[in-house]
Amino acid sequence: MGEKGFLQFSFAWLFAIVVGAFILFLAIFFVSKLIGQGQAETDAKTGKEIGILLNPLETGFESAKTLSLTMPVETRIYNKCDNHTGNFGKQLIQISQKSFNRWTETDIDISFINKYLFSEGYVEGKKFNIFSKPFEFPFKVSDLIYITPSSKNYCFVGAPTEIEEEITSLGQQNLFIKNCPEESVKICFGGANSCDIKVDYEGGFVQKNSKKLYFYGKALMYAAIFSDSETYECQLKRLMQRTEQLAILYDDKANFVSRYGCDSNLGLLQLSNSADSFKDSGGLNLIFSEVEQIKMQHDGASCKLW
Amino acid sequence: MEKHKEYFLLCKKYKAQLKNKKLEIPSFQLQKNGQLKIQQMAFMLIAVTIFFVLVGMFVLAFKFSDLKKTATDLEEKNAMLLVTKLANSPELSCGEAFGTGKTNCIDTDKVIVLNKKDYEGFWGNANIEIRKIYPKTNGEDVVCELNNYPNCDIIKVSSGDLSGFDTSNFVALCRKESSDSGVNDKCELGKLIVNYKSTW
Repeated sequence: MGEKGFLQFSFAWLFAIVVGAFILFLAIFFVSKLIGQGQAETDAKTGKEIGILLNPLETGFESAKTLSLTMPVETRIYNKCDNHTGNFGKQLIQISQKSFNRWTETDIDISFINKYLFSEGYVEGKKFNIFSKPFEFPFKVSDLIYITPSSKNYCFVGAPTEIEEEITSLGQQNLFIKNCPEESVKICFGGANSCDIKVDYEGGFVQKNSKKLYFYGKALMYAAIFSDSETYECQLKRLMQRTEQLAILYDDKANFVSRYGCDSNLGLLQLSNSADSFKDSGGLNLIFSEVEQIKMQHDGASCKLW
Repeated sequence: MEKHKEYFLLCKKYKAQLKNKKLEIPSFQLQKNGQLKIQQMAFMLIAVTIFFVLVGMFVLAFKFSDLKKTATDLEEKNAMLLVTKLANSPELSCGEAFGTGKTNCIDTDKVIVLNKKDYEGFWGNANIEIRKIYPKTNGEDVVCELNNYPNCDIIKVSSGDLSGFDTSNFVALCRKESSDSGVNDKCELGKLIVNYKSTW
């Protein structure tokens, strides 16, 4: 009789323990899933919000626009670029935030077709300094957006006066032209030594990590300075894709307005083809002469297209 | 003597029967108690499972509705910020094509030849429309095509129709026009409308 009582007690406990453990496991599993999903949701929401907040950086006739972005927690903004999708490629951003002293893991990409972000592979911090500049080639192609963490200082050494004036007028607290903090990224114009980044303003290239990034105009120069080579080349390819579409659009417009007697023969289709066959920044000088010629012809035309 | 013997045997048989009965009664009670406990536990388990499922469903429904609201809020925010800056986009802006540079000015000669298919999704999920406010063509809304332009009122930048909520901004709609004196610039009053759908 005693033995049977013992067996009965043991079965009930065993049963309760097994089922209880199963329920607890399920509860913990779903709660952890929900927490993970909540974090991913917050990351995605933050990414989308950042993208939306970049809308006011679209310039009209301004030469540059600035914005400061302060996040509630330490944040990493991953800058990804895809130049293979559709006619314009895609700007992708991924957000990771610090939660309980750990970076959240997310694989949710927030994509924008009409934005061009220039930064390192990822920027980290609580406060970010952002500015934008229009890229003209020879018509306005887009506004280029540069993101730097406010904790990272950049020191411009020996910059031409126009660059110095522009940096001063931007008013960004992490960009210096004199009295540079010790641990700042040194950007040298001309032949200074011990520089992190060298800029040949006349030659039209930026040298960083033994790689040459060619540019056309100040907007692309800043892009080459503030971004890594992969991001720069990819975004430049996307900009050329948009140039190609805009050249077609302006050529269509030229044909359309010719009915009013507005004639213009600018060779825009040739520019479109050149932009289409663009590979990397080394090929910019091939298009450069075409762009300059179109610009000159358009400036002298009575009927302007842009 | 024989009677005694019979009585003794009867008693023995009765005792044996009683013994058997005594043994049977506790064994039946034991089985019944165990079954009852398992049944109780099964009911408890079902109740606990239903409770967790209901709580889970409530949490999911709450989270999902919150997510939908967030998505709509973000769409609204995007539309509001987009509409203020969209006219400066190179695909729409006048630039310096009509004399000096103008902000919030749309070059309709450019927009009318814009290939909508190439620019599908370029400005996100928003539907974009440009409406001429003044002067109206024949007092009614005529959708612009290449064959009726500029005698029309609505230019659709994206292929979708407007539905849901929208935000708008006043803009200048400029185009070239030929006259006896040559080619002139003509600007009219218009409205740029960015439409977004609510998921809430």
